Amino acid sequence: MRLAVFGDIHGNIEALSAVVDHMAAKNVHRYMCLGDIVGYGASPNECIDVIRSLPRMNCVLGNHDAAAVWRYSPYAMTKEAKEVILWTIDLLTEENASFLQQLPPMLSAGDLCFVHANPYNPEAYRYVINRKYALRSFASARQRLTFIGHSHRPVIITRKNFFQVTFDNARGNTNRSVAGKKKRIINCGSVGQPRDGDPRACYCLLDTRQKSIEFHRLEYDINGAAQKIKAAGLPDFLSRRLLRGR
Amino acid sequence: MQIPPVNSMNLRHKFFLWSGLILVLFSLLLSLLYYQHMKSILIKEALDKSEVILQEVEAIREYVKEELRPKIRKLHKDDTFILEAMSTTYVSLQIMKRFGRRMHGYLFRRVSLNPLNPKNMADPFEEEMFDWFEEHPDKQLWRGIIQKNGKSFFVSMEPDYFEPACLRCHGDYHDAPKELIQRYGTKGGFRFKEGDLGGIDSVMIPVSASLARITRDSILVFLVIFGSAMLALFFLNMMFSKLVMARLGRVSSSLLQENGPTEEAKTGKVPAGAGVDELDNLRLSLKTLTRYVKIARKGSGVQPDFIGPYVVGQPIAPGTLSWLYQGTDTRTDQGVTLKLGFDDVLVNPLYAACLRAESKLMENVRHDNLLIPLARENDIMIFEQIQGVDLQQWIRDQQEVSSHLVTVFAQLCDLSATLHWAGVVHHDLRPAVFLMTKDNTLKLFDMGHAFQRDVPDVILSSGLGPQGDLRYMAPELIQGKRGDPRSDIYSLGILLYLFVTGRLPFEKQTVSLSTWLGIKKAVPAPGSVKSAISPELETVILKAMAWNPDDRYQWVEDFWEDLQQAQKMGFK
Repeated sequence: MRLAVFGDIHGNIEALSAVVDHMAAKNVHRYMCLGDIVGYGASPNECIDVIRSLPRMNCVLGNHDAAAVWRYSPYAMTKEAKEVILWTIDLLTEENASFLQQLPPMLSAGDLCFVHANPYNPEAYRYVINRKYALRSFASARQRLTFIGHSHRPVIITRKNFFQVTFDNARGNTNRSVAGKKKRIINCGSVGQPRDGDPRACYCLLDTRQKSIEFHRLEYDINGAAQKIKAAGLPDFLSRRLLRGR
Repeated sequence: MQIPPVNSMNLRHKFFLWSGLILVLFSLLLSLLYYQHMKSILIKEALDKSEVILQEVEAIREYVKEELRPKIRKLHKDDTFILEAMSTTYVSLQIMKRFGRRMHGYLFRRVSLNPLNPKNMADPFEEEMFDWFEEHPDKQLWRGIIQKNGKSFFVSMEPDYFEPACLRCHGDYHDAPKELIQRYGTKGGFRFKEGDLGGIDSVMIPVSASLARITRDSILVFLVIFGSAMLALFFLNMMFSKLVMARLGRVSSSLLQENGPTEEAKTGKVPAGAGVDELDNLRLSLKTLTRYVKIARKGSGVQPDFIGPYVVGQPIAPGTLSWLYQGTDTRTDQGVTLKLGFDDVLVNPLYAACLRAESKLMENVRHDNLLIPLARENDIMIFEQIQGVDLQQWIRDQQEVSSHLVTVFAQLCDLSATLHWAGVVHHDLRPAVFLMTKDNTLKLFDMGHAFQRDVPDVILSSGLGPQGDLRYMAPELIQGKRGDPRSDIYSLGILLYLFVTGRLPFEKQTVSLSTWLGIKKAVPAPGSVKSAISPELETVILKAMAWNPDDRYQWVEDFWEDLQQAQKMGFK
């Protein structure tokens, strides 16, 4: 099975379109969206429409999606994030809001688990960026491969034993093996707001037969997306962040 | 290995868990009783020993008082006092000191609150005992276990009251012998009167080692009793399984197989037996059998005519827990499909829970190959109108069924994958649960045996054992495991076998479950049934039907991809 995993679109329709076109050409069987469709970016409704139109798609809830339908308080977020979410709440269509409302926080299938931030407390949205939280995530996930997003940095975390993990940052277009019996956490990076220094849109493609993961980085109209953020009157910092990629 | 919660264990496991717990408690009780008994024996022994020692000391003191002291007085002048021979305290203490050296740990003390020799001063515990004896002048003995320097001692204490003879040394110090004053001074040991509580004699016998030995023995007793009881339970279970369960299972399974009329549509329709053990299943099977006989006699006479605003029409097909009927909504005059629970399903809480779970599932999961739910009236589901024949009949009607392979399997695979990704495992994929419409669209109308990820599994927790048609069932399902999507891939493999060869790999047999497991190990090669099958297609079928789930396709998507490839290669 070829499964396209992507997330953290953050209302960036330019990046999402590029990613969806690329995925479609890859002949994937299923799509998995890891949440945070809205927030930061200027095209929340357009992004949700595209995601909803994908065939054989599953999606989990991100913290920005939750905040946009008051399942999570926007006031617990950073100043810029809160500002954009309050702007998004006014903008969301009823259908799109109810789509976000019914998203589950976590999904599993076979030996795969999908969650926006972490599997041990899916609705607390803590980053899995160090050994402590990686070990905690490994302990709670029953499946072998856990796909996460949230930190906007593509990485493969492998559990060596009950006390040790290795972090393998996936830079650029790269192919990694996930064979063997070791548990792994895979961060699929961010479509609409990468923060690993590479401003290109990021998603990953799992091939269960080859037991491999391809990370793809795609060029898209970053300036167009940045312009839209400015035109919508959203914080300027967010458009600069898109261009910088961190 | 994952340990299931108690509620989802089957009955046999539950029985073992509880028996184990009871055995642990029983063994604990016995070992506690043993401990208490041994401790009381130990205390009684210590009591006797201390009694002997105290009596011995008393005898020594009497000897000094009555023999030694008058004899020495006679030999010497009256006021001569030889401490080593005439003081009862000194003599008894010295003798017991030597005794204590020989009998290690035994301790004799004679203490006072106001002693001549400061070494004989009472310690805080003994001071308390002085108070106790003063408060209870009638008591001549105190016994108990005390802790001293981290060790346990059994202690016997006797009070010693002053007699007139004692007052020579312990009355006014002016009258006391010179030797005594020279030796101990005048600080303590004087000014007593007759009848005063002068001292306490105590004997301490160490019991720590014996207590530890008893504890060790008690643990051993616990382990021996528990171990032998578990062994006995194991053998009993083996005997019970062999003599009763296996035969009962065979009877039950033959009833499950034989219950319906000969028509295929009505076989295997024993409601997902909602009994709680083999006997319940047997009873339910008989009940179902009676129901079928009744239906056969009365035709469609048992069906109700009206349910709320809906008119009930002709039956379409039976499901696991319910019948599918044609119907009409009297308000709009539109055709609908009604799903009505069997009579015994509705009256049995366990069946009813299964039916409700099924209805909820039908409402929640949406797919083109599932019936579209319109409404729900209590336990009755109302779906869109559907015109079609059941897949079994449809297969029979086709001239060349394999020409429809892609049409049917594209839908089957997409539906199964959607169910799996929604956390649902159907567990009962067979032609009888599908309807084929005129435009060749498959409609799945029954999910009575389905497993849902987020809902407690009633079938597993009530210990019902494997449910469904054994011919289509994956081996691990026959073994009683549920919830693995790969079980559905096995059933898809059997359906593919049926489509390609025109017959099932395993025919209906009334044999026990373990025999079925054996039968499933050897799949007759599709090529041997129908020669015009490409090796690629045969590989796909055999891989989907692998005995071990790990050797099967892990995802429906992979199965579909390989099937498409093999189909392109065509038949030979």
